Amino acid sequence: MTRLLTLWKHGVMTGLLGGLITVLLSLMGMVEAFSQRQIVSGVLSMDQALLGVAVVFVGYLAAKRTTSSQPLWVVINTLTCGFVTAAMLMLLLVIGHVINLRAVFVNASPVLYELLSFGYGFESAPLLFVAAPLCALFAGILYLLPGAFRKMSLVSLTCIIGAGVLQDMLRPTLAAWESLADVSEWIFSANGLTEQGATVLFIVISLVTLFWSFKGEAVKTGYQGLPAAGQKGLRWTGIAVLLVVLFILPQILGLFLSEVLTIVGLYVLLGLGLNIVVGYAGLLDLGYVAFFAIGAYVTAILTSPELGFFNLSFWQALPFAVLVGIVFGVLLGIPVLKMRGDYLAIATLGFGEIIRIMVLSDFLRPWLGGAQGIGKIPKASIAGFEFGMPQEIYYLIVAGCFLVIFISLRLRDSRLGRAWKAMREDEDVAQAMGINLVATKLLAFGTGAAFSALSGAIFATKLTSVYPHSMNVMISINILCVIIVGGMGSIPGVIVGAAALVGLPELLREFAEYRLLVYGFALVVMMLVRPEGLWPEAVRRREFHEDIEETEPAPSTASASS
Amino acid sequence: MAILTARKTTKRFGGLVAVDELDVEIKEKSIHSIIGPNGAGKTTFFNCVTGFYRPEEGQILLDSKSLVGLMPDQIVRLGIARTYQNIRLFPILTAMENVLVGLHCHLRANYFGIVAGLPSTRKEEKDATEEAKRLLRFVNLAGKGDLMAKNLPYGEQRRLEIARALATKPKLLLLDEPTAGMNPSETQTMMDFIRHLRDEVGITILLIEHQMRVVMGISETVTVLDYGKKIAEGTPEEIKKNPKVIEAYLGKGGAAEAQRVAA
Repeated sequence: MTRLLTLWKHGVMTGLLGGLITVLLSLMGMVEAFSQRQIVSGVLSMDQALLGVAVVFVGYLAAKRTTSSQPLWVVINTLTCGFVTAAMLMLLLVIGHVINLRAVFVNASPVLYELLSFGYGFESAPLLFVAAPLCALFAGILYLLPGAFRKMSLVSLTCIIGAGVLQDMLRPTLAAWESLADVSEWIFSANGLTEQGATVLFIVISLVTLFWSFKGEAVKTGYQGLPAAGQKGLRWTGIAVLLVVLFILPQILGLFLSEVLTIVGLYVLLGLGLNIVVGYAGLLDLGYVAFFAIGAYVTAILTSPELGFFNLSFWQALPFAVLVGIVFGVLLGIPVLKMRGDYLAIATLGFGEIIRIMVLSDFLRPWLGGAQGIGKIPKASIAGFEFGMPQEIYYLIVAGCFLVIFISLRLRDSRLGRAWKAMREDEDVAQAMGINLVATKLLAFGTGAAFSALSGAIFATKLTSVYPHSMNVMISINILCVIIVGGMGSIPGVIVGAAALVGLPELLREFAEYRLLVYGFALVVMMLVRPEGLWPEAVRRREFHEDIEETEPAPSTASASS
Repeated sequence: MAILTARKTTKRFGGLVAVDELDVEIKEKSIHSIIGPNGAGKTTFFNCVTGFYRPEEGQILLDSKSLVGLMPDQIVRLGIARTYQNIRLFPILTAMENVLVGLHCHLRANYFGIVAGLPSTRKEEKDATEEAKRLLRFVNLAGKGDLMAKNLPYGEQRRLEIARALATKPKLLLLDEPTAGMNPSETQTMMDFIRHLRDEVGITILLIEHQMRVVMGISETVTVLDYGKKIAEGTPEEIKKNPKVIEAYLGKGGAAEAQRVAA
């Protein structure tokens, strides 16, 4: 009997967790806010998808935690989990039916109750006891499936939900191509995917992932089996294709998405700079936005006719902006040379604020414009081509990214890059290996500041004006999050991190209310599940992988000791 | 001919005198051990030599150049390398990268050469990689260059640390308990290796060691420290018989006991 209870326990526990999550999602108002949008038109709305994903998640947990390897117990536990979750939602409905919860929970509205009972009123609420266990059971079946099929189902479902959520972006993009307009009409309805579109997408993506699961290895070995020249040729072809895609991208994507891309690009520039300071050299810098501000303001002062000091063009001002950035990077680096870890973070945090407050000060107002900022910064132009629209500025930013990526790559695999990494690992030993800490640290600060100043200069010409309030400490924190989520010290990681943390929230602006909540949740989950980042450096990836293999039996010892 | 000379070197931590007017001469191409009970000031002396600490008084000379007041990175360039009592590799760099960091002070590439990818920089990097591979082979770690340092087994980590120290091309190598935590056969391999380093490569070795078998087996000179003071110095044979040494290790009663047993 006790044995049965232990086996059964995890189903109940995860069910309670699921109930908690779904009730919270409901009471926070996310369910109601999401209900306006359809994933698959008329079949699945976004609120249902949200709750469904939550239940599938806990169902999968229930399956994973089942101590018995018998499929029967996995099924029993997942069903229990779904049932308990449904019971907790039902409890919310019943309580809401009897007492008015709105006095405390603003979002506990009749609309919410209707949504939770599938739109048919209170009497149809017991449907929950069918839907939730089904979702959980689905998770259990996923768990029992062989790896390739599990991956297939997860990837294709994620893609469908992704396509549904991002339809506002995908539909106009597809429609912009004459020939694809019909396809787009067929896949997307006015609100959400069409039924046939969703089915076809599911099948296509499933087949592709299945093919990759079974044949991916063969393709990889085939590639590695090629002679060096062939590999190089393929790689260059890949790069050429990438370049072409990057070149025509803004034309396809249109104004709004190009704007999003430029913002992501600016963060990539900033992230790559901070990646050198934090990711390589291990110097935790929280005042990094200062150099962004310096780059932007130097450009503004040198170019803006509003101040009328210099009236240089953007290209003439750019070297000065970067140079002043480097000088400040080194100057601000000198006082913190002896500091490590937390102390360094606090000191640099101070620098960021000092720069912002100085810009705001009345004393410097005639030169820096105070809170009003500086306007009328000219657009950059080459031979008559003006970088005015986001689609055009995009090219400027991509060029900047390429330059910075190139420099980062060169530095990473060099004597200097190794010195930075050695310093990050153990400063004393690095010094005992002949590394001059002062020079090495200042080079890191200087390089990071240069990248940041470049980003700032482009930012200034993009907005044609600069304001002190766009240089606040949240930007520093955001950039730090970008490189942590992307993967410390990894160049592709910075790009992925910027796309995920800067690009996605821009695309999901309509959920602005929940943006920070989702952001925070994502960060916590990220640190728990994938601490090495989305796209870690090859070496680090291996490290975490090996750790997992080594510590596989750890959970049992941990639970035994507790 | 002395390669390293310490004259009246004194290092204090507040009221505690960790190294007290120490006079030591390390002969060129010798294997010299420093022994003593825990807290005798052996590692502190190492830290003074390598520039981690600055002694308050006295002199430390390499050949005839004073080391006092130099930074660790300057001292390693003069030809003194060390390993650590508790292994201090760069844990998440690969074995190869660890050795390449050791080569750092012999590489000349500057910032602009690196970014521009000058031919001289590329050639230097290629040569450095070859040299690092050679060093890994030398310490018997061939083919492990791509593994992360922290994932190597203990004995290999010790050897990697030595390879990294050798990469700086030292004249004098300071080994802080190189056989700590090793079993007898590993210890024997390490002893042979140290002797090989001196005989074939011609590096002077100064080591701190607790295993008497190692100390007596390979060193030509032994210096005994107690409470920061030198209490004895001589060949292993002389040290074995020295009553002061026995007293320091075993206490007064122990010394008498030992003499009685010897008699």
